[in-house]
Amino acid sequence: MPFLSVLLVRSALCWLAVGAAMGALLLSTKAAPLPAWVFRLFALHAEALLIGWMVQLAMGVAWWILPKYPRLPERGPAAPIWAAWLLLNAGVLLAGIGRSIGAPETTVIAGRLAELLAAVAFAVAAWPRVKAFGR
Amino acid sequence: MPSITRWFVRSALLWFLLALATGVLLAGGVSADIPGTAWALPYPTYLHLLTVGWLTNLIFGVAFWMFPRYTAEHPRGSDMLGWLAYVGLNGGLLLRLIGEPIQLSGEAKGVLLLLSAGLQLLGAWAFVLNTWPRVKVK
Repeated sequence: MPFLSVLLVRSALCWLAVGAAMGALLLSTKAAPLPAWVFRLFALHAEALLIGWMVQLAMGVAWWILPKYPRLPERGPAAPIWAAWLLLNAGVLLAGIGRSIGAPETTVIAGRLAELLAAVAFAVAAWPRVKAFGR
Repeated sequence: MPSITRWFVRSALLWFLLALATGVLLAGGVSADIPGTAWALPYPTYLHLLTVGWLTNLIFGVAFWMFPRYTAEHPRGSDMLGWLAYVGLNGGLLLRLIGEPIQLSGEAKGVLLLLSAGLQLLGAWAFVLNTWPRVKVK
C-alpha cells in the first residue's frame, strides 16, 4: 500500500475510533442522565463518521487500487493527494467542531468548503487513472 | 473469501434489506409502526441500519479480506479482534433496533441502549486495533 493511502486510511481509522466513541455517548443519553454538552457532539459525530471515516477510507483505498501508469510516478503526482488529505481533515475539524461548539456559521462553511476542495483535488488526481487496462 | 468476511458481508446484505424496508415504512408516515406492538421505529434507527448495518459491515468485511497481510502466519491479524468487531457491531445494532422503540414507548429503562452503545464502540475499536498494523507501506 503506498504511503499516501496509509496516511488516508489510518486517518480514517482515527476518525472511526473518535466518531464511534461520540456515537456511544450520544446513544447513552437516551438511557442515562448525561451532561447537556454531550448532545452538542452530534455534529462532530456525523462529520467524523461520514466524511472523516467513510469518505476518507474510500479515497485511500481508491488511490491504492486504481489502475497505475506504466511510467513513474506510477500513481501520478502526490501533491493533489497531500492537499486532499490536509483539506479533508481540516474540513472535518472545522465543520464538525465548529458546529458542535456553536462557532460562527462561517467556520462551518469554511470547513465544508475545505471538504469540497479536497474532493476537487482528489478527483483531479484520480480521474486520469480511471481507464481501461493497458492504456 | 475468509469465513469472517462472509459473515460481515451477508449480515450487511440482511441489514441493507431491513433498512430499505424500514425506509418504505417511514415514507408512509412519520414513524414506522411495528406490527403487533405499540412501538415505532425512529428515524435515527433507520439511518444507523443503513450506515452501520449495511455500509460499515460491508467495509469491515472487505477490509478484513483485502487489506495487506499482517504476517505470513497471521495474514488477517487477530481472529479474536475480528470476531469481536463482528459481534460488537451487529449485536450492538440489534440491541439498538430492539431497544430504541421500547425506550421511546416508555415501557422500559435504557439498559438495552447502554449495552448497544458499549457493544458498538467495542466493535469499532476492535476493528481499528486489528486493522491499524495491516495498513502499512509496501
